[in-house]
Amino acid sequence: MEQRKAVKVHDLYKDFGDVHAVQGVSFDVHAGEIFGLLGPNGAGKTTILSMLSCLLEPTQGDALVMGHSILSDPMAVKEAIGVVPQDIALYPDLSARENLIFWGKMHGMRGPALRQRVDEVLQITGLTDRQKGRVNKFSGGMRRRLNVGVALLHKPQVIFMDEPTVGIDPQSRRNILDSVKDLNEQGMTVLYTTHYMEEAQELSDHIAIMDEGKLIAYGTHDELVQIVGEQDRIDVSINAESERVIKQWQETEGVHKVSADDGTLTLLVDDSNIVLPRLFESATQAGVRITSVEIQEPNLEAVFLHLTGRALRD
Amino acid sequence: MTVHLRKAIDIALKDLIRSFRNVFGLVMMFLVPILLTAMMYFAFGTLFRGDGGFDVPLTRVQVANLDVPSPQLGGFSAGQILLEFLQDESLSNLLQLSEAPDEASARGAVKNQTADVAIIVPSNFTAAVLEPEGTARVTLVQDPTLTLGPSIVKGLVSQLADTFSGAKIAAGTVARQFGQRGVPVKPQMFQDIATEYATWAAEVGQARADGMHPALDVQAPLSKAEPRSWGAEVAGLVMVGMMIFFAFFTGANTAGTIISEQENGTLARLFTTPTTHTAILGGKFTGVFVTVLVQVLVLTLLTTAIFGVHWGMPLTVSLAVLALVIVVSGFGVFIISFIKTTRQQGSVLGSVLTLAGMAGGLFTTSLSTPPRAFEIIQLLTPHGWALRAWKLALAGASAGEVALPVVVLLGMGAVFFAIGALRFRKRFA
Repeated sequence: MEQRKAVKVHDLYKDFGDVHAVQGVSFDVHAGEIFGLLGPNGAGKTTILSMLSCLLEPTQGDALVMGHSILSDPMAVKEAIGVVPQDIALYPDLSARENLIFWGKMHGMRGPALRQRVDEVLQITGLTDRQKGRVNKFSGGMRRRLNVGVALLHKPQVIFMDEPTVGIDPQSRRNILDSVKDLNEQGMTVLYTTHYMEEAQELSDHIAIMDEGKLIAYGTHDELVQIVGEQDRIDVSINAESERVIKQWQETEGVHKVSADDGTLTLLVDDSNIVLPRLFESATQAGVRITSVEIQEPNLEAVFLHLTGRALRD
Repeated sequence: MTVHLRKAIDIALKDLIRSFRNVFGLVMMFLVPILLTAMMYFAFGTLFRGDGGFDVPLTRVQVANLDVPSPQLGGFSAGQILLEFLQDESLSNLLQLSEAPDEASARGAVKNQTADVAIIVPSNFTAAVLEPEGTARVTLVQDPTLTLGPSIVKGLVSQLADTFSGAKIAAGTVARQFGQRGVPVKPQMFQDIATEYATWAAEVGQARADGMHPALDVQAPLSKAEPRSWGAEVAGLVMVGMMIFFAFFTGANTAGTIISEQENGTLARLFTTPTTHTAILGGKFTGVFVTVLVQVLVLTLLTTAIFGVHWGMPLTVSLAVLALVIVVSGFGVFIISFIKTTRQQGSVLGSVLTLAGMAGGLFTTSLSTPPRAFEIIQLLTPHGWALRAWKLALAGASAGEVALPVVVLLGMGAVFFAIGALRFRKRFA
C-alpha cells in the first residue's frame, strides 16, 4: 500500500526575472518521515520552502501540503505547517516567553492551553531558566533553539526547517538535531534543508539532492550512495597550485572525477589503494608535494561530486 | 470578536510594548519635546513671573529736592509732589527712594554706586510750574551700565512733568478765557483748575497702565480660556510645535517597524502563520495609532503638570488629539510605503519631516502674524493644519471653531492612509 504523502511537490518552477531559481522540481515527502533537501548555497532549497510556506507563488506548478494546495488553499496549508526560517526571526526586545506567546497567538492559540504549551516548548528547547530574558541578550545557539521552538508551538503536522543549524556552536547544533529526531518520533513530518552532508545523512529517511534549481537525485541514503558504486573519495592537499597536477590526475587510470577547491583536490577513484601511488608519482613528476591525504568511504558528498563534478562545499 | 481582529490587536499590542521598551524611542517621544519646551520656558522664565508680571530689579534712586515752595499758595511745592509720586506704594517694587541733602551728594551716590539714579529737582521747579512762561530743568544722573531702571525713572518723571505741563496749559487756557470775558482769576482758582486737571490726568495714566485707554471700548476676546501666565502660554505654544513635530516622527518610525520586521524576517514569518495580510497590516497600523495616541496624551498631561499649560476646552482638545493622531498615523504609513530599507528610513524621515515641520510653522509657533505667503505654505502641510487646530484649542476655542482644521486633518489622514495601505498591500501581495 502506498504511504500517505504529507507533501507532494509537482513540477514546481520559480523565476525571478531572468534567474530560474527552481526548474521543474517534483518530489514527495511521506507522512511521518524526515526528508532532507541537500544542496549547496543557491541550489534553490530556500525558494522551494518559501513556496511550500505560501510566501512565494510558484511561476508554474503546484504543491500539496497535507492535501491542501499552496495555490488554492494557502490558509489551510499555513495551519498545517510550522516554519523554521534560515535566519533568526524573533523579536529581540521581547523575552523568550513573550516571543512564544505572541507567535502562539498568531497560530490561533489562547489562554491556559497556550501557556501550557509555551512551558512545554521552553522545556524542549532548554530555555526554561532563561524564559524571562530578552532575546537580544541570548547567545546565537539559544536564539536558534528558540527560533525552532516558535515553529513547534501549535504542534504542526509538517515542519519546514531551513538550514536551522547554520552558524551555531556544536552543543546547540546537537540540541537541534536531537529535537528534530524527537519531533519525528512524536509523528511530525520534517522537511529539512541543509548543505551539511552529515546532517542529511544522520537525520533523513529520504534525501533529495538539488543543484542550480534542479533536483538531481532522490532516494534513501543507501540508494543514493549506490549511484557512485564502490568508488572511494580522496581529499588531497598539495603545496602548489592545483593546475599543475589536475590535468595529469584527470587522465590517471582509475580516477573518475577531480574537483579543486581552495588548495584541496577531491577525487573519485575506483580503488584508493591502487590509485594513490599513481597520484604520488605524477605529483612528484610535476614537482608538487602532497601534504595530506584523506580517504573516505562512499557518501553523499561523493554522490554530489559524481553528479555535478563539483564538491558540495563549492 | 473575530479571530483576525484579535490577531490584529495582538500585533498592535506587541508593537506598543516594543515601542515603549525602546529607550531611544522614549527619549524622542517624551523627553526631547519636554526638554525643548522647558528650555524655552526657563529662557523666558527670567522675564516672566508666575503672576504674569515682570521681574525687574529694584532701582535705587536718590532725590536732591532743591525746590522752593510757593508762599502765596500755602507752601505748595511741585518738588514735594514729585517726591511723593515716586514714593507711592505702587512703585515700591520698582524704586527704592532716598533723599540727598544736596546735588553733590546725589551725584556722588551714583558715582559711588550706592544709587542707580539721582534726580536733581531745581530750586525754581514750583515757580516754573506756577508761572505761565516759566521753565525749569529736572536733572537725571544715572549709572551708565544700567538701562532698564533709569528708563523707568525717566518715564515716571516725564509723566509727572507732562501732568504739570498739562495742568499749566489747562489753567492758562481757563485764565485766558476768563480774562477775555473780564472775569478776574484768583490764584486759588488757578491752583484748583491745575489740581483738577492733574487728577484727571492721573486717572487716564492709571487706565493706560492697566492696558486700556479710556477712549477705547475694548470688546471681550473670542477666547474663553482661563487667564494664564505668560510662561505657561509660551510653554503651550512651544509644546504645540514640539508635540506635533515629534508625533510625526513617532508615527513614521512606528510605521517603519514594517520595514525592520521585513529585514529581520519576522514579517515573513508572520505571513507563514494562518493570519491574513489584512490582519497583519491592520495590526501594524493600529500599533502606530495607539503609540502616537499615548505620546500625545502623555505630552499634554505632562505639559499641564510641569508648566501649568491650560490646553482649552476638553471637547476641543479631544478633537485636536484625534485629528492629530489620525493624520500622523496616516502620514507615517504613507511615507514609509515609499521606503525600502531601514537605512533609507533614517535619512528620508529626518529630512522630509524636518522640512515639512518647518513649512508647517512648527518652529515658529510664537509668530502671531506670520507673512501671508508663509500662512499659505503652512496650510499645504498636515503639520500646518495640526498647528492651527492646536493653537485654536490653546486659545480656548469651541469645538465648532476647530471643526475646519479637524475635518481637513481627518481627510488628509484618510487619504494618506489609503495610499500607504494600498502600496503595502501591493508590496506584500
